[in-house]
Parts: sequence; C-alpha cells; structure tokens
Amino acid sequence: MSDAILKVDNLKTWFYTRRGTVKAVNGMSYSLNKGECLCLVGESGCGKSVSALSLLRLFDSPPGRIVEGHVLYKGVDLVNCTPGHLRSVRGKDIALVFQNAQAALNPVFSIEDQMLEQIKVHYDINNRAAIAKAQTLLEEMMIPAPERALKMYPHQMSGGMKQRAMIAMSLSCDPEILIADEPTTAVDVTIRAQIMHIFRRLKTSRNMSIIFITHDLSLVREIGDRVAVVYAGKVVELAPVAKIMEEPAHPYTRGLISCLPDISSNLNRLPSIPGNTPNPLDLPPGCAFHPRCSMAMNICSSNEPFLTGIADDHMVACHLYNARAGENK
Amino acid sequence: MSELKEQTRKKARLSVYFNKRLASYYWERLKKHKLAMAGLGFIGFLILLAVLGPFFTQDPTYSDFNIANMPPLGFSRQESVYDIKTDEFTTTVISGRLDHPLGTDSKGRDMLSMLISGARISLLVGLIATGIAIFIGSLIGVLSAYLGGWVDNVLMRFTDIMMTFPFFLLLVLIVFLFGPSLAIIVVVIGLTGWTGAARLIRSEALSLRTRDFITASRALGASDGRVMFNHLIPNVASLIIVMSTLSIPGVIMAEAALSFIGMGDPLSTSWGTILNAGQHTLDTAWWVAVEPGIMLFLTVLSFNFFGDGLRDAFDPRAII
Repeated sequence: MSDAILKVDNLKTWFYTRRGTVKAVNGMSYSLNKGECLCLVGESGCGKSVSALSLLRLFDSPPGRIVEGHVLYKGVDLVNCTPGHLRSVRGKDIALVFQNAQAALNPVFSIEDQMLEQIKVHYDINNRAAIAKAQTLLEEMMIPAPERALKMYPHQMSGGMKQRAMIAMSLSCDPEILIADEPTTAVDVTIRAQIMHIFRRLKTSRNMSIIFITHDLSLVREIGDRVAVVYAGKVVELAPVAKIMEEPAHPYTRGLISCLPDISSNLNRLPSIPGNTPNPLDLPPGCAFHPRCSMAMNICSSNEPFLTGIADDHMVACHLYNARAGENK
Repeated sequence: MSELKEQTRKKARLSVYFNKRLASYYWERLKKHKLAMAGLGFIGFLILLAVLGPFFTQDPTYSDFNIANMPPLGFSRQESVYDIKTDEFTTTVISGRLDHPLGTDSKGRDMLSMLISGARISLLVGLIATGIAIFIGSLIGVLSAYLGGWVDNVLMRFTDIMMTFPFFLLLVLIVFLFGPSLAIIVVVIGLTGWTGAARLIRSEALSLRTRDFITASRALGASDGRVMFNHLIPNVASLIIVMSTLSIPGVIMAEAALSFIGMGDPLSTSWGTILNAGQHTLDTAWWVAVEPGIMLFLTVLSFNFFGDGLRDAFDPRAII
C-alpha cells in the first residue's frame, strides 16, 4: 500500500531465557496506513504486547532481542537506528498507551509534573504554555476540572481518570501513531465506553493512526478498520473488519468469532477453541495452530504456511488456501 | 532557552525532591514516635552545641598543669602527696569548680570545650562521610539496577570485592600511608562505606525498574539519565534518607575508634582522642574517659532512634 506510514516486516523478537528461547514475536508483518486503526487481536500470550513494545525497542534487553525483521517508519528502520533517533521517535512520533494506568503512572509525582516533564522533553516552551497544553489535553480527554486534576497524584484519581490521563500524556507531543495496548482491560464498562469514544474521536479529529491491541472482538468491530489476527507470534489473517466478521478465512479466526456470545441465540454453553495456546518455548512444527485445528491436513504439521492474498485486501496464512490457490493455477 | 524556562525548570527539579504536603504528613507520623523525637532533640542539641559552643568556651587545646585532673562540678577527689621530710602523706581534697564544670584532663585541659570540639568533629565526619558514601552508593545501585547486564555484573562484583576488605584495617592502612588528616579520614570512610547502600538501592531499584511507569517514561522518549534521576531516585528517596541516618552512627564510631588507637588527626580534638587520653587515668580521673563515652553513646543512640522513626514514618504499612 502506498500510504503506509509504518511497515513491520517479518519482525522476530526472541527472549533468550534459561529455559530456552521464547519466540514471542516470530515473523510478524503488517503495515499501518495514515488515519487507520489497525487492531491486533489474539489470545493472551500470543505476542501482541511484545510486538507493540518491539516497535520502539522497549522490551528488556537482555534477555530480549530482535533477531530479524524491520520496522520502517518515515524511511528509517527502527530496529537498527541509533538510540538517539529512537528516543526522538518515542513519544513524539509513536506513543504508547499502557494497559494498566495505575502502574504506568509514577506514584510519587502529580499528573502535572509528569505531563510537563514529557512536554518539555520534546518541545522548547515555557512552563505556562506547557501547563495550558496539558490542560487542553485533559479537557480533550473529557476529564472534569482539568486544572484540579493536574494537581492530583495517581492514587487520588479513579481508574478511568488515570487511564484518560495516561492517554492525554501519550498525546502530549502530538504523535503520528498511537499504540494502545489493551487500554480498556483494566476499566469497567462505562469507562470503557468513554475511552472507546475518545479513541474514535482521535481518529476523526486528529486523523490519528492507531494500533489497537485487544483480545475483545466487540471492540474491534467498534473501532477497527483492519484486523490482524495474531497467533503464536505471527499474523495469521489480515483483513478489513467487516470481512473478518463476515467471512473469516483462517480456522483460528473462525474459532474466535464463533466464541463471541450472541445475544439472540439461546445457548447454554459458549463454544470454545479446544486446547491451549502453544508453549512459546516449544512451538509445534509447521503451522503453530495445527494441533488445535479441526481442519488440519498432513502438510500443516510439516510446512509453515505464509501470508498469501486470497482477495485484494484479505491475506491469510493457512494451507487450506495455499492449496486451493495451487489448484486454481 | 529563555531565562524564565531555566528558572521554572529549576523549580520543577526541586519540587521533584521536596513536596510540602508530603513532608508535613511524614512529620506528623514521625512526631508519634517518642524515641525518634528524643533522638532528634538530642541531635538538634548536639548541632547547636557544635555550632555555638566554641564561642562560649575556651580553647580546647589550652593546657594548665596546675589544674590537671580536676573533677567535674559536684564531684571531688583526694590527692595524697608523700612528704619525704616528715615521712607523712598530706591529703588534699580537690573538688570541681564552676569554671571547669566538666573537669579537666591530666594535662589540665577543659573537658567541656574538648567535648564540644569533639561534637564538631563527630558531626562533620558523620555527615560528610555519609554524604559521600550514600552518593556513591545510590549512583552505583541505580546504575547497576537500571542498566543491568554486564554493567550490573561488573559493578556488583566490584561491590563484593569492596565488601571483603576488612574496613577498619583498610582505614588504618590508608591513614598510615597518607598521614592522619581529618580530610583523608572523611574521604576514606566515604569511599569505603557505600557498599551496603549500593546493594540496598540496587535491590529496590530492580523491582521499580520493571514497573510500567518506567517503561512508560521511556516510551515517551525519556533518556536513560532522566529515567534514573527523575523517576527511579525519587522513588527510592525514603530509603536513601533512612539509610543515611542509620549509617551516620557507624561512621562516627569509626572515626572515634581511629582516634582512640591514635590514628586520628592529631590537630583536632575528637571524642576518640579524649577517650584515648582518659584510659591511662581511668583509676584516678574517670571522668576523662566516661564523659566522651557518654556523648558517643547518646549520639549513636539518637541517630539510631531517629533513623528507626524515619523508617516507620516513611513506611505506609507501618502502624504508628
């Protein structure tokens, strides 16, 4: 795609631990367009969060290391650029919203201290202007009485306020890309609705490009433009939201969508995908999903499938379609 | 960069380390700790004594052998002199006088002014040496925890090696090599006493380092130095304060011990020096050894109580 502002290509982040190599991100590829919201969806432990941290090289190193791949942003590969350049990209171009705002705010400083520090690192403006900027940001986040909120310490705020203050902080340097790592997991439904509203507004008013990491498909339907389904550190299916919901191609995606509770049907037991996520220390050979796949073939346990297009905006990594594509030829 | 910005930045930097509301909260908690308040009272008294005392007392090195071994006020001692002509003992009773309220030593030096001089030395050594030690300790601890990997390994092994040196022997050796000056003693105590602080701060910073807010500040483009000094150190500030308070008595004792064995600065009168002088006349002029002993005892106890109180005040889980 021509207007991709971020391109992740065959990214592999491995953690070398005493018990073996954890291939948390194992060849992930996707691209993000301007003003688009790309959702990374997958079960816990499939490498969604690590892939987000990998974009800015924020994981612990050692033990983690990017062994292969590229993250192209504005023509620079963030995987092997200088630490100085990376630091200027962090916050200013690509910002991160964490899952747990309570832990992501420094407990010994007021919100003001933390926001000003951040603004002043990247902009050469005086205190008064910085405070004004911080206030407008909090207002944009629909925090009541922003001047009072600025003086508060994280423990004095409610969970939702903290989460919104976190987002305000991430936005304080007007980044181009916002990576949101399960921003609604730690808050209740009403706050979740507010936060989703904020993200939707960011998309329309700021034309923000968002990478939205979640395991909740209902949120994907609400905010996403395209979805990348992640399994065992790999993107297994990449398609627009409507397409994923209507005609999921990969057996894993189909499983995920069938797991969504449907309010109109009257089931006693929700369907689930049998088995567990594979141990990242010991990934099954071939397609990592084949031990749980109901449509597994012989080839699945020996050969690794690659992302191939089955329609012009629909890519899937599954032998079912590779085989079919082969037959058609 | 405008001047205004520079000023506000300085103010902001200070507010990072000092917060009025929090300080008053800790003060309220500390006030409930009776022993700590007593300790703080004695430390305050000692500081006052050390600062103002020299203006009211005589020179601690001035000696007058006519009034040697004079007991403190309210005590008296008998002195028997054998007269070779009459073959008799003539016994005179010497009692304490107001102009030397704490008595004099065997060279007729005023005990009160010597003790005040000793208080100056002890506080000076205690504060400066601890300052140096804690500074190095926090730097090494935070660097080691934050940077991790081989830096951590090198720094911690270096700390281990420093810990294996017999501290006092090293002190004696260096004083022997470079001469007994107060400055050298202070610097050496500071340069060798940081190991415990480094270990403790490293362990605390290690657990903080993995917290999300550290990753968050890095994600927002903070440099390593900023993360360490603006985010990690303020979070271990209470630990640093408590540790410095609790390490002051050890430093004071080390200086006194050094002076006691005669390796102290000969140009300054410290409590250890007086103790050393007093051990020879323990049977006749007991006060020369007892008075600095009591001062050392009270000082060390005060700092310990105060440090304990601070630790409880800073610990949100402690029930006061």
